[in-house]
Amino acid sequence: MTSYGKYLLIWVWLIALLAAGTYTSSLPISKTQAVLLILFISLIKAGLVCLFYMHLKSERLVPIWVVAIFPFVLIGLAALLVLLGPYLLS
Amino acid sequence: MYPASTHTEVTSTGIPSGKLGMWLFLASEVMFFSGLIGAYIVLRASLPTWPHPGEDLSIPLAALNTFILLSSSMTMALAVASVAYADIKKIRLFLILTIVLGSAFLCVKGYEYSIKFAHGHFPGTSIFWDCYFTLTGFHGIHVLAGIITNLWVLGLTFRGDFLQRKGHLVDLSGLYWHFVDLVWIFLFPLLYLI
Repeated sequence: MTSYGKYLLIWVWLIALLAAGTYTSSLPISKTQAVLLILFISLIKAGLVCLFYMHLKSERLVPIWVVAIFPFVLIGLAALLVLLGPYLLS
Repeated sequence: MYPASTHTEVTSTGIPSGKLGMWLFLASEVMFFSGLIGAYIVLRASLPTWPHPGEDLSIPLAALNTFILLSSSMTMALAVASVAYADIKKIRLFLILTIVLGSAFLCVKGYEYSIKFAHGHFPGTSIFWDCYFTLTGFHGIHVLAGIITNLWVLGLTFRGDFLQRKGHLVDLSGLYWHFVDLVWIFLFPLLYLI
């Protein structure tokens, strides 16, 4: 597969995940489940962009990975704060 | 895959200086948005009530904008790939498509803002609207900066020695554009879906 084909395939996945995330927000599930599921889908989308569009899949250099991994740590903290928010308030 | 570029000044890290500089810049951008998103989460967690998803913000409009921005990331990646193939026409085509899609994103965002203003929602109306306008506003400014950068790179492609001397700029501009896309990938669910 040429790199053009690969990037088109990644785009199809990104759009499918966008549809899945948007649909998940309307599902009759608990808030906690919805937050976890939607953020998990967002992480996969971000991972695809980082790995393929930003070429991190072929990067072997630690400094770039250190920078690239930071947003994922951040979103994990975000998910924890949103989930724990009600408990922190009580 | 890396584009064909003559940008060969490699630093002691083994990374070309331009790329290292861009990644360090992106690191500072991550810290910038971390502060904003962190403030949003703390404010949201500290308030007893918060608008439900889809109550005040249009999920279909935001999903459309996400579709546009994800598509622009694809065209940007294709522009970078075209540098590797030394295909100057395709580089221009995909850069133009990226610029058009980025502009479309800003147009939809502007339309969304106009609806909010018509309903009397402004920065300062409430903490929710403060967060919404601050996060989307700063992101919009970054999209605009990406469009301007791509326009500049597009202008450079008309120089005869672009592929030999400036081809790496498409890669660097692409890294910035994908970062702007990444920020929106997280803003969309945080603001609209959860």
